[in-house]
Amino acid sequence: MPETVEPLIRPDIGKEEESDPKSELEPGYLVICWDDPVNLMDYVTHVFRVVFGWPKQKAEFHMLQVHNTGKSVLTRESMERAEHYVHQLQSYSLHATMEPDA
Amino acid sequence: MKLVTTKGDSFVFQISKREKRLLLEVLKLYPLIPAAHHRITRNTDSKQITENQKLLNDALAERTRENKRQLLGMLKEENRFQEADGGYRFTLGPPQTEWLLQVLNDIRVGSWVMLGEPDETKRKTPDLKGEGALYYAAMEFCGYLEMALLNAIECSG
Repeated sequence: MPETVEPLIRPDIGKEEESDPKSELEPGYLVICWDDPVNLMDYVTHVFRVVFGWPKQKAEFHMLQVHNTGKSVLTRESMERAEHYVHQLQSYSLHATMEPDA
Repeated sequence: MKLVTTKGDSFVFQISKREKRLLLEVLKLYPLIPAAHHRITRNTDSKQITENQKLLNDALAERTRENKRQLLGMLKEENRFQEADGGYRFTLGPPQTEWLLQVLNDIRVGSWVMLGEPDETKRKTPDLKGEGALYYAAMEFCGYLEMALLNAIECSG
């Protein structure tokens, strides 16, 4: 079987580093996933695990929060890191945005 | 399509001839999500974020081009589908499984958008006239394939 070239851009499979504690004092952005009637629940759980490196239980908690309440705040980050996560989530066609943490 | 075995870290699925034909047809729809569908924020006041919307669009477009390149490469590989048991053995490594999930879900969500974003909980039903039937079938078929891939990932633990 011919070898398959690996994608140049791969999902972040490893566990994400915790944010710098100092960022709690700086303007931050909330990465939010919004409910929609099309993305499958198991798929959403899988994407959370791949993008954030979360264990299944935490990923399912946030998936169910999206499903039951319409949205879930997934993390609070600097603008750059929030953009990174939104990009990752939208690459999987999830309805994700970043909002200023007022 | 169902998982029959794993080979190293690769998944080997049994896929019927009809499913393979449908898969190749539905993959022709990729990419299907309109560029304007994804918004980086609901807050339209931030000039900085508005500028970053273009960067996000560019990044997503690049990802889509890469997925498309992978897709075309996969379809050209003669050994990707090997005849067996009246159908085919369909082998996917972890990277291919991950981007095929992205591709299938792009088609699923894109089909949903093309159908007018139906929502049964709000009694907003899809229009199945004309191309609507095609998009509805694509949406359901992609969901079926996604579950097969997700079950395989779950089984591999």
